[in-house]
Amino acid sequence: MGVIVKKVELTWLDRSYVWPIAQGMIITFRHFLKQIATPTSKRFTIQYPDMKKTLPKGYRGLHELKRFEDGAIKCVACFMCQEACPARCISIEAEEFSELNFTQGFEEKRPSVFKIDMLRCIYCGMCEEACPKDAIWLRNEYEVAAYDRLSMNYGKWDLINTYAGADGKARLTQSQESPATPSRPASTSGNQAGPS
Amino acid sequence: MESVTHLPGLSAVMIWTLLKVLIVFSAVMGIASLWTWVERRGSAMLQDRIGPNRALLFGRWQLLGLPQLVADGIKFFFKEDQVPPHVTKSLYWLAPVLAFVPALIGFAVIPFGRDFTYKGVPYHLSILEPGNSMGMLFPLAIGAVAVYGILVAAWSSNNKWAILGGMRASAQMVSYEISLGLAVLAIFMKVGGYDPSEIIKDQMASGWFIWRQPLGFLVFFTCMFAESNRLPFDFAEGEAEIVGFHNEYGSMKFALIALSEYGHIITASALIATLYFGGWAVPFMPEAPVLLTILFFLIKLLFFLWVFVWVRWTLPRFRYDQLMFLGWKVLLPISMANLIFNAWLMSRGH
Ligand code: SF4
Ligand code: SF4
Repeated sequence: MGVIVKKVELTWLDRSYVWPIAQGMIITFRHFLKQIATPTSKRFTIQYPDMKKTLPKGYRGLHELKRFEDGAIKCVACFMCQEACPARCISIEAEEFSELNFTQGFEEKRPSVFKIDMLRCIYCGMCEEACPKDAIWLRNEYEVAAYDRLSMNYGKWDLINTYAGADGKARLTQSQESPATPSRPASTSGNQAGPS
Repeated sequence: MESVTHLPGLSAVMIWTLLKVLIVFSAVMGIASLWTWVERRGSAMLQDRIGPNRALLFGRWQLLGLPQLVADGIKFFFKEDQVPPHVTKSLYWLAPVLAFVPALIGFAVIPFGRDFTYKGVPYHLSILEPGNSMGMLFPLAIGAVAVYGILVAAWSSNNKWAILGGMRASAQMVSYEISLGLAVLAIFMKVGGYDPSEIIKDQMASGWFIWRQPLGFLVFFTCMFAESNRLPFDFAEGEAEIVGFHNEYGSMKFALIALSEYGHIITASALIATLYFGGWAVPFMPEAPVLLTILFFLIKLLFFLWVFVWVRWTLPRFRYDQLMFLGWKVLLPISMANLIFNAWLMSRGH
């Protein structure tokens, strides 16, 4: 069943060019006035280094390897994420740890090496889906850049500390309270002054 | 003009003429480079964007993005001046000048203010004195010469795309020249002369030509867009999709070609203001002071300059056959009808 395209009958006024052009110019001029009267912070363009967009909740940015309250890594090196990764950019090496294996007869696993090649990662979130321990999260950091390829190979400690401050405490929630640079939510508008 | 012949002594008239040349050309150049800024910021505002605003003067003052002009100028001067090996060198160097000069000197006959008398000596506010027997024919002729700039640039590039662009542009400019001439002819006929000051006097006496010949205005206005190679008729360059005549140009030579486009629209706006909007005439004030007339001329000029920008960012480009259709089958008959209608009106004694 095809869609019937209605032929638009042009009146002589439309075919004269002059009136439609005048209409179009009125429209663009209205946009001009509106844009000029709008303060920069409320315009559509987000002027990136000066302003940042507040990202939505489920944003898939740079990974974080989660930790327990006591600081132990949640990851048990089960390789599920490595299997699930469509870009094949996770490489894990497992190791045994804890004295439990001496006292109670079982041992735990943890990654000794956990590398993600951020140049290959497509931020699909499959690793997060696959993880049985909720140990790997994709979070809202998106400024992943470096001067050489090697430093784009994020290791275990990079991933653990991505969102931690210098003191090891998470700074993610804090930074959302008071952003260092003026930021603007996606839908509502802020009122920070910025360059015009 | 007697005293000019007494060379080499500098008479007041000569100094006056030199002063006029200086003021007018620096004003035109200033407006032309300013308009590159207006074009970019204005287009941004028309399209809900922001436009260039990150160049800072001394790393501090933003000034609405105006330092971008300086940055561009510096960049153009210090860019490597690349001359492709396959170009015809002499013409290649000549072409930007050929494009630039006609764009500027078309302005020479246009009066930008009321004549005044100081200590018994009459002064005229146009570079060439009125009664120079060229009158309005001069900017039209010079405007036609501008085709050479484009053609020479295209031809000397030895690049088939550049030549195609140049051919498109010259065909377009030549076809619109005819309707342009016929539209202006109706005015010359009504006024009984082609000196700009006569035309302005006539408009002050019996109303601006926009009211008396609206059809002629439409034709003239459209042709001015075609003559200055502006969107919606920018086949010369067609910067977005098709490759144009200044393909092989870089650095300052490109800047000259780009600036000549702005020179063209300044001359075009001045022509529109003079022919159809009473030039420096101030509405309802036949004896306006000189400064006010200059101000009004400037306002009209800037308004039409803005219209050029405004139209460019409103309309998409015509297809080439549509352009030719519009030129030959629409504008030409309209301008002919306009001429004949006005002739008929005059024969009836209006
Ligand atoms: S986000 Fe996708 S591509 Fe990146 S590491 Fe996880 S599974 Fe691999
Ligand atoms: S991050 Fe999750 S899925 Fe990947 S190895 Fe660790 S526990 Fe397994």
